[in-house]
Amino acid sequence: MLEIRDLHVSIGDKPILKGISLTILPGEVHAIMGPNGSGKSTLAQVLAGREGYTVTAGAVTWQGQDLLAMAPEERAWAGLFLGFQYPLEIPGVANVQLLKEAVNSQRRRKGLPELDAFDFLERVKASLKLLEMDEAMLYRGVNEGFSGGEKKRNEILQMLMLEPRLAILDETDSGLDIDALKIVARGVNALRGPERAILLVTHYQRLLEHITPDHVHVLADGRIVASGGRELALELEAKGYGWLTAEAGQEARP
Amino acid sequence: MIPSTWIDMPAPGTLPEHRREALESYLAQGLPHTRLEDWHYTALDHLARLPLHPPAAADVTPVIDEAPGHDLIFAGERLIETRSSLPASLLHPLAEGELTAAPTLAPGTALSALNAALWKSGGYLTVPRGQRLERPVFLRFLADEPEAMLHPRSLIRLEAGAEVVVVESYTGATAANYWCNPVTEIELEAGARLTHIRLIEEGTAATHTGLTAVRQVADSRYELLDLSLGGRVCRHELYLTLTGAGAACRLDGLFLADGRRHSDHHLRIEHAVPGSMSRATYRGVAAGRGRGIFDARVLIRPGADGTDARQDSRNLLLSPHAEIDAKPQLEIYADQVQASHGATVGRLSEDAMFYLRARGIERHAARRLLLAAFAGEALGLVAQAGLGDWLMPRIEARLNEIGESIK
Ligand SMILES: Nc1ncnc2c1ncn2[C@@H]1O[C@H](COP(=O)(O)OP(=O)(O)OP(=O)(O)O)[C@@H](O)[C@H]1O
Ligand SMILES: [Mg+2]
Repeated sequence: MLEIRDLHVSIGDKPILKGISLTILPGEVHAIMGPNGSGKSTLAQVLAGREGYTVTAGAVTWQGQDLLAMAPEERAWAGLFLGFQYPLEIPGVANVQLLKEAVNSQRRRKGLPELDAFDFLERVKASLKLLEMDEAMLYRGVNEGFSGGEKKRNEILQMLMLEPRLAILDETDSGLDIDALKIVARGVNALRGPERAILLVTHYQRLLEHITPDHVHVLADGRIVASGGRELALELEAKGYGWLTAEAGQEARP
Repeated sequence: MIPSTWIDMPAPGTLPEHRREALESYLAQGLPHTRLEDWHYTALDHLARLPLHPPAAADVTPVIDEAPGHDLIFAGERLIETRSSLPASLLHPLAEGELTAAPTLAPGTALSALNAALWKSGGYLTVPRGQRLERPVFLRFLADEPEAMLHPRSLIRLEAGAEVVVVESYTGATAANYWCNPVTEIELEAGARLTHIRLIEEGTAATHTGLTAVRQVADSRYELLDLSLGGRVCRHELYLTLTGAGAACRLDGLFLADGRRHSDHHLRIEHAVPGSMSRATYRGVAAGRGRGIFDARVLIRPGADGTDARQDSRNLLLSPHAEIDAKPQLEIYADQVQASHGATVGRLSEDAMFYLRARGIERHAARRLLLAAFAGEALGLVAQAGLGDWLMPRIEARLNEIGESIK
């Protein structure tokens, strides 16, 4: 459903992604790990359509379409979701307002009628319950004054309401306590299904205990330097990234 | 000088004394121009080129929506309808004698003098000691005649401890190039509390140069929502004097200057005695070729120790051709005052736009949400006055227009 081919991305003149290839099929869970600054968020943001990046080479196909030609909202309508590493605070826009607008613009695109207030609230409440979030959160400004963990849960709430085909979760596990991690994992697992896929960006094997990945990739310096099954995550936890980046460095040398 | 294009202007000699004096004062000053410091940002030259004339006696009465309160409706400077269950002694059209008997609060500017010379009608509201009016009082002024010159005049007096919400609105027909130059004087006695929603919603070709003069004494509270949503060239001047300890004012404002709109907000606040407070919170949006101005001066007189005065002007510039001038000023001659002012001009946050769009919210809807959030910072009084249903749709419709007008 998602095919990334030899993607090169720069910010200004600075190359950040240096040839990423990755194929994600329906039903799969992929995890991307890698050192700080290796380009994981850049990849996630480029996939979601953030401006300010230059794609210098490569292509991304999403369900047969050229993803990079689509506006961010079109990508969302087509079933792509990005859980932000740093969810934004938008004071003055109530959480519930964002959810309602988001759900209804998606429905309009699909030719469905807008959800009425009652059905909408029913659905939100079910998701809130699953994520053990307080209803009062709905009426606060988007992420305004939310704790780190609350922000991450709020991303998952949005994800559950939008039911994406592919959810890219950029470090949604960072900053969560053990219980919150389980709750977030529960939210993600609730979304899993044979036609849906998940791309997890994470630093910790911990999350992968709750959401078992089919594939694990290591991103270093803008390249995927290793791919494997879930055992790769365990290996990384034990050995760190040094051995991989060293190998990659040696390979790069003639 | 009276511009030669103006029609049917009275000769000073034909007027009663106080009007004659006012007209002479206007003649001595003339139409304001941008070389005057106070008029630096707003040009009225076009008024001198129009064949402006007093309004004709209209033979059709416009249909006007139901307002949630007591309501005096004026069209072309005539009272056309009273929808009120208040005793007439409290709310009625202003009479000449009532104005001459009242202390003059409006400063003798050229345009205020012209109003004093030529006014024909307006509202008179008085709330007796200790009374609190349950429902808001509306003073609504409609205009639809091209090239008409309108000078509505209103007087609002709250006796000690009285309380009321007043909505003063100026509405006009699209494309009629009339000029509305209203003056409203407000006197708040000790402990009185007025919430004043002032709405400029003039037609797209209209000029509005309004003036509000307020005098507050001890422990009175004045809350203004200064809304500028429609009209081509608009200016509102507020002259407010705090002359009693414990007097407080909250001045909220929102102007939307899109298309070719010009909206100038000219505030002159004076703390004359110790222990009074003022808060100005203005939000401005300029798009297209629009221009918005926040030009406020807080004067803290010698001896007005312990004054607490703050001004906060935040503005959004949504197009490269739009312009915002934010000029908060402080003049402090007293001790131990708490005074601050801040002004910013910015753009819609790209990050917030991306976040919303990544959730599938279209660009224009995302913009609308962010604009509404921004405007909302100055709209706290709407809900407090219980006027959300009446007022918010008007504001939201304008915000939508602006959101959709941007590429
Ligand atoms: N606007 C920018 N201008 C210049 N460099 C940038 C910009 N944004 C990101 N970068 C650089 O791009 C590189 C990749 O950043 P990215 O955020 O993708 O890393 P990451 O793998 O997500 O790291 P982390 O694990 O810390 O979240 C970093 O070196 C970063 O400094
Ligand atoms: Mg990152």
